[in-house]
Amino acid sequence: MNALPSAINPASVGLTTRRATELLTGWLRQGGLMAVVVLYTLFAALPFGWIATMSVRTTSEISARHFAWPEQWHWEKFRIAWVDSNFAQYFWNSALVVVSAVAIVTLLGAAAAHCLARYNFRGNRLVYFILFSSIVFPPQIILISLFQVLVEYDLYNSRLGLTLVYVSLQLPMTVYLLESFFARIPQDLFDAAKIDGYSDFEIFWRIVLPVGMPAIATTIILNFIQLWNEFLFAVVLLSDQDKRTLPIGIRAYMGDYFQDIGMIATGMMIAVIPVVILYAFFSEKLIQGMTAGAVK
Amino acid sequence: MAEVQLQGLFKNYKGAARPAVQDVSFTVQDGEFMVLLGPSGCGKSTTLRMIAGLESISDGQLVIGGRVVNEVAAKDRDIAMVFQSYALYPHMTVADNLSFGLRRRKIDEAQIAARVKSAASILGLGELLERKPFALSGGQRQRVALGRAIVREPQVFLFDEPLSNLDAALRVATRNELVRLHHRLGATMVYVTHDQVEAMTMGQRICVMNGGQVAQIGRPLDVYKAPADVFVAQFLGNPPMNILAAQLQAAGGEAQALTGDGAVLPLRRWRDRLAGMRAVKLGMRPEELSIESPDTAGPALLRGVVAAVEPLGAETLVNVMLDGNAGEVIARLHRDADAALGQRVSVYVPEAALYLFDAATGKAIEAP
Repeated sequence: MNALPSAINPASVGLTTRRATELLTGWLRQGGLMAVVVLYTLFAALPFGWIATMSVRTTSEISARHFAWPEQWHWEKFRIAWVDSNFAQYFWNSALVVVSAVAIVTLLGAAAAHCLARYNFRGNRLVYFILFSSIVFPPQIILISLFQVLVEYDLYNSRLGLTLVYVSLQLPMTVYLLESFFARIPQDLFDAAKIDGYSDFEIFWRIVLPVGMPAIATTIILNFIQLWNEFLFAVVLLSDQDKRTLPIGIRAYMGDYFQDIGMIATGMMIAVIPVVILYAFFSEKLIQGMTAGAVK
Repeated sequence: MAEVQLQGLFKNYKGAARPAVQDVSFTVQDGEFMVLLGPSGCGKSTTLRMIAGLESISDGQLVIGGRVVNEVAAKDRDIAMVFQSYALYPHMTVADNLSFGLRRRKIDEAQIAARVKSAASILGLGELLERKPFALSGGQRQRVALGRAIVREPQVFLFDEPLSNLDAALRVATRNELVRLHHRLGATMVYVTHDQVEAMTMGQRICVMNGGQVAQIGRPLDVYKAPADVFVAQFLGNPPMNILAAQLQAAGGEAQALTGDGAVLPLRRWRDRLAGMRAVKLGMRPEELSIESPDTAGPALLRGVVAAVEPLGAETLVNVMLDGNAGEVIARLHRDADAALGQRVSVYVPEAALYLFDAATGKAIEAP
């Protein structure tokens, strides 16, 4: 009787099962990871896709069937929003206010962060602590006093006023993020530049800013998204229709009794485009900034 | 090229109990390679940074090339510095790193290109000029840092432990390269290190520092052969000089040292220098010792038990624990030396190889 083929020995059987188990667990692990990623992507992307489809459907179509694929693509809704509903103006207002606020915040924030990270002056940590503590408070609590201040200085209902408010809102977080990054730039770099003949300001401009670019790009994106979507301060501090920013413009489609869901979706798509472009442009830097540390 | 004179330099940090640098005075001759040597925290780097202009001078005077530069900014002192971390600008290519300092000085482009090219050829950086620092190996980064100093054509080169981030083989190669470079440029160089091998091999003179003060200045072998105190004696040499406490006694008009293990060592060389002293510290270099085994009788021998044997290949280090808790001595012997762990041995010290130090101050007592 020779039922067991001599070629199979028990040891090799053990080996192949072990390898199979390894393969299986490896596959399961990867599959599990993939499932989480897919789930999260769906969670984030489906609402976006839903809004995107709604942006080319009319409100009555949406009311009839909430989740349907567009039967007819109403691209003209974008023209209606842009031209008839004044979105061109809102877009320009948003761009002007947010871009200037982000530019000022970035420059001021980087300069302040560099100072706090590099120079030992009396009260350094006190300034840092005060800045940091202002992150902790919700911004809403300063709204009323801020309104009063702006009225006082003739900045109420002006884009400049809103820009300055945005700067003050975002500055503490920006300084906080950049300070911790700048503090990790080795002192030797500054000493070398000093010996090479560069002044303190030139060192900031030609060493700190380029070396800190990953962190700076991170703050640019975070600030831009935050301010681009900002509603509360804009709605309180601007009253003229032609000074409104995009979030308030979108709000105009919401009446007391009727909400023009279709046009809201169109407005949101218009608003979201710059953010997507900015993110695509800076995302690599963003990742670098978040995983930073390799300054050397 | 220029002479660098330090005249009674002090550095006080706010809140520090004592000055980081205390009354440091020495002169680096024009074209000389001077090494500042000492353990970490001895003030050598602070001294260098004061020469560079990166630290303010609390007291004293610093003269470079005949000009007092205490209040002159780093960029106007006409010095170049190579940092331990290399301090390459990470966002610039090698070529930009080399020319960054020249651009600021408004040197014309053709001249910059020529200097960069010449430095790159001296250091073998030709192929790397368009790379960024992160794409270079440690040795290459080190050479770029050197190149950045060379292109400046400064009066004085300052080095702050530039080799300590390199691996052992590269360190030896770069050491030789630096010596050749000094020879070639004939420039004044001040080099800070805690590595005595670097100091011995590279320096024309070395300045040993301890606790913020200058312990000794001299040519490397002179310092090695005649250390000014116990600190210098132990800092130079590997393994360090053996130091034993000893009592002095007079016998027949001649001084003798009595060690804790009962050995009696004649101190004829010192003649009347030891009058009135009762205790000294005895110093002996490991390479001067020889071991006699088995235990030989005789008064002029240290006795003890072998506590460790470390064969290093070319030589063997034998650690002997002396009798009567007198301490331990390390002998550096030929690799075939006959010594085994636990063996009783006698250690022979020729009188000519003995060093004497004051028991209280640690200062060397020189034989006349």
